[in-house]
Amino acid sequence: MFNKILFSFITILTCFLGIAQEKFTISGYIKDSKNGEVMIGATISKKGTGIGVAANEYGFYSLNLPKGTHIIAIQTIGYATQNFTINLDKNTKLNVELVEEGKQLDEVVITGEAEDKNIKSIEMSTAKLDIKQINKIPALLGEVDVVRSIQLLPGVTTVGEGASGFNVRGGNVDQNLILLDEAPVYNSSHLFGFFSVFNPDAVKDVKLIKGGVPAQFGGRVSSILDIRMKEGNNKKFAVNGGIGTIFSRLSIEGPIKKDKASFIVAARRSYLDALIKPFLKETSPLKGVVFNFYDLTAKLNYRINDKNTVFASGYFGRDQFGASVFKFNWGNSTATARWNHIFNNKLFMNLSSFYSNYDYYLEFKLPASNQGFKWSSNIVNYSFKPDFSWYVNNKNTVKFGTQVLFYDFLPYKATGQFQEGAEVKFVSPKRYGAEYSAYISNEHKVKPRLTLEYGLRVSAFTYLGKGTAFTFRDTIPNTERPLNDSVRYGPREIIQNYVNPEPRFAMNYVVNQFSSIKASYNRMAQYLQLISNTAASTPLDVYTMATNNLKPLLADQVSVGYFRNLKENMYETSVEVYYKYLQNQLDYIDNASLFINPTVENQLLQGLGRAYGAEFFFKKTKGKLNGWVSYTLSRTERLVRGISNDKWFVSRYDRTHVLNTVVNYDLTKYWSLSANFVFLSGTPSTFPNTKLEIQDMSIPYNTTGQRNNYRVTPYHRLDLGATFNFRKNDERKYKQTLVFSIYNVYNRRNAYSIYFRPNSTNANINEAVRFSVIGSFVPAVTYNFSF
Amino acid sequence: MYKLVYKIIFLLSSIFIFTSCEDVIQIKLDKGGKLVVIDAFVDDLRKPQIVRVLNNTDYFSDQSSEPISNAQVVLKDLTANKSYSFTYAGNGNYQFNITPADTIAKPNHQYELNVTVNGTLYRALATQKRRAIASKIDLKKDYPFIDTSLVFLGIMDTLIEQTPIGNGPAEKFYTTLLFAVDIADNNPDYYRIKAFRNDTLFNKTNDLLLCIDGTGGEVYNSPEPFSFFSPPVTFLGFQKYQKNDKCKAEIHSISKEAYNFFLQAQLQVTNSGLFATTPENVRTNIISPTGAIKGVGWFNMASVTTTSLVMGL
Repeated sequence: MFNKILFSFITILTCFLGIAQEKFTISGYIKDSKNGEVMIGATISKKGTGIGVAANEYGFYSLNLPKGTHIIAIQTIGYATQNFTINLDKNTKLNVELVEEGKQLDEVVITGEAEDKNIKSIEMSTAKLDIKQINKIPALLGEVDVVRSIQLLPGVTTVGEGASGFNVRGGNVDQNLILLDEAPVYNSSHLFGFFSVFNPDAVKDVKLIKGGVPAQFGGRVSSILDIRMKEGNNKKFAVNGGIGTIFSRLSIEGPIKKDKASFIVAARRSYLDALIKPFLKETSPLKGVVFNFYDLTAKLNYRINDKNTVFASGYFGRDQFGASVFKFNWGNSTATARWNHIFNNKLFMNLSSFYSNYDYYLEFKLPASNQGFKWSSNIVNYSFKPDFSWYVNNKNTVKFGTQVLFYDFLPYKATGQFQEGAEVKFVSPKRYGAEYSAYISNEHKVKPRLTLEYGLRVSAFTYLGKGTAFTFRDTIPNTERPLNDSVRYGPREIIQNYVNPEPRFAMNYVVNQFSSIKASYNRMAQYLQLISNTAASTPLDVYTMATNNLKPLLADQVSVGYFRNLKENMYETSVEVYYKYLQNQLDYIDNASLFINPTVENQLLQGLGRAYGAEFFFKKTKGKLNGWVSYTLSRTERLVRGISNDKWFVSRYDRTHVLNTVVNYDLTKYWSLSANFVFLSGTPSTFPNTKLEIQDMSIPYNTTGQRNNYRVTPYHRLDLGATFNFRKNDERKYKQTLVFSIYNVYNRRNAYSIYFRPNSTNANINEAVRFSVIGSFVPAVTYNFSF
Repeated sequence: MYKLVYKIIFLLSSIFIFTSCEDVIQIKLDKGGKLVVIDAFVDDLRKPQIVRVLNNTDYFSDQSSEPISNAQVVLKDLTANKSYSFTYAGNGNYQFNITPADTIAKPNHQYELNVTVNGTLYRALATQKRRAIASKIDLKKDYPFIDTSLVFLGIMDTLIEQTPIGNGPAEKFYTTLLFAVDIADNNPDYYRIKAFRNDTLFNKTNDLLLCIDGTGGEVYNSPEPFSFFSPPVTFLGFQKYQKNDKCKAEIHSISKEAYNFFLQAQLQVTNSGLFATTPENVRTNIISPTGAIKGVGWFNMASVTTTSLVMGL
């Protein structure tokens, strides 16, 4: 119904606009001349005016101009600006290919104008990392990594090395919507948290949205990490690869039909287990251990005609860990099918449908016996999602769409074989849910200096049968709620419904050519949360949907920022302040039993959260020396009845001060150097202040009852990298680089956590122990090639 | 199950031994407030029953907790309407000497513990759990169709002759396994198994042996009328015994809440590594009056089954 009304509205308005305006439209795709990849966010504008538009996620643009002659400039950072003189007397299709800077052809005019998109665009609290930029950052074990790179941006932190995922503005890891070609990825980590699942060879564009989230996105309250895969070179075959300390990678891309269809296939495989084998003693419990990961990313696209393009992409990755007595593996798989359709020069549609699965499997088997234990769990999503961009006129760009998302969970399935012939099964019933959403937003250029974006997303969630819904009686907060009743529901019967309107608003006021003030407000609703009370989330953690007992998580965020570029856009600076208020944030009763528990909901608590802070950013975009410095001052707190004496307490992800510095220096044609330095305040932790002697145990106890009453020592680290480029000139086909890196140069043992234990020789004495995941500096060499 | 999951998580985090390290550091902790700590695990063994009443002590203190010597400790059997007064025996121990013919602990009776310190009454409630370790007599009576020759309670010793590993010496020692049969029905039984070498309890936190229905997991609606205690749960710790050493096992049938208390305490004492949970205070079942110094600890009434073996005989 919503769609029907909208379509009628659009059709009428399009006809009206077509008749009433003496204007014409230039539309088309902006692509890279080298490989035919579409260029997300490249801008097209009428020179010398503020009239312009950015290409969307699929490289499509549409610009409306009056009849007459115009000079059109098309530009994006790192590419030579192309200027066209166009005599506009009808709607015109203009597909443009941009040439990388330094490789420009004679006929292309170099304007020398730097990118000032950060000033003019309505986007705020948004960071875009280009894969070329990511490649320059010195990385752990020499392996460039998308998720570790975004952790160097303001407002993004992690609990420590080895922790999966990342925290945005104090949010939990499950509050980030990580999209790989629009399909959600539930566990973004390989090797727990050392590497992310995204193969940099197959990634084109990485965009992190921390605030001012456009209406087209929803489902998570802290951030959107939108990762777009390359389409594959449609001009010529290309091979990229690398041999590293931990893993090797290879990608092949090329045209299936030149300029029409192309593909990319990229794969990685680690060999950590083989490498550590010689260093293990005969007696080591890790002898014979299997420990590796692999992933495969592939994408295919076919341009049927000027108006229709179809895409299919997929990811499949797995981590495996095991020895003679146990096996453990986990991984994600995603598949996306997309259809881009241009209805007319003003209306663009992307229709996506995707499948996403995360699962793990664990098995224990006692040697020489039939006794053992098997355990598995999974979460599956299916979705259908049409999105429309309607370039109404130069002042209004309307985006609208809908999404249907189905959830299919198996919280756990465990089988224990404890004695000959006797098998004990613990199988949780499957859980089902459906999330529906519809949105509409308008980017409205009210005045040349003032742009507004206003929109509304309405999301609804239905917790569905078949299943049993439990109800619990109220009790003292922070204790297990006793079971009251359980009601059985049949297939597709509605157990619980939630509807949430999510208003979105953003504003940009351009003060002058080099500065602007931006503000935004957004409400976000989240219908599933990760159940994890460990410091770092483990691959065994499971998600829970909103149920009759658990309300959806809601967040309201306000951000205000001042953006200023200096020296003709050579330096970008910004200051942003934000305040976020969360409702129904998940927490746990003390000593909660979270695994293989059919009534896990009575172990969970819901409370309030708030986060506020200021983010300062300084970036040098050009020159031999480039990079950025960011500083964040922030606070993240929670209030949960029954915890920490019913008072606000700092969350596990609170970091008061965060300083990130990333510097690149192009020394010679062959050598480039890079460095990054990070400083983060220690994470909060709960320390005991006394001990109880009960049954010969010395049990740590905190008499104040305060949660997170101490902080571990601050984290700081310096990494250095140097890249040697074998190339003699740019045109040489075979390119090779050697990347040398040292992670944690000055060998600091950063505390991941501080814990307490009895002394091993005298159990009457307790001691504090600092646990560091990276205990020394880590040197590495990686060889990369492409041809 | 909870315990197993945390063992798995601990195992997972062990892979970080390649890069990770642990350093003992000095930390100044705030001084904790005063508490009354009650350690009351009463059982039906024919030996003096002890309830300990102590103060808490600083976390890093190398001194034992200060005993409270002026408390009044009374155990009430609410079912039988009887009271037993414990007398102070020094070092925070309050003792009740049972008569050779009787114990104060009786299955399915309800008990209340009253500890009065400086006029403040601390209370706790417990129900004595059944003895669910099957004897041939029980089985003959309740399950006449069972071949009772298969059923026994005992300890098995195994001589290990360990060849030298690396530069280590060759070793010869005994290890032990406990065999027992739990009556399986819709009511799970929770156990703490205490292992002794020559009457000395293996008392480190890591020596704590806990199980449910003898199998490590709750057996609801088990198709079997009984289930065997099975290794590794009943592998009586990685303890070494020499010839003629006596190994004794006490199987304490405890409440579910007491089982959880031990599990939580063990987790808090050994909570470490990458996947450590948020440190939390253990839940206790001591009820304190509002405004008074808080009482913490645990009160449990257990039925105990004992078996022992002398090594190498």
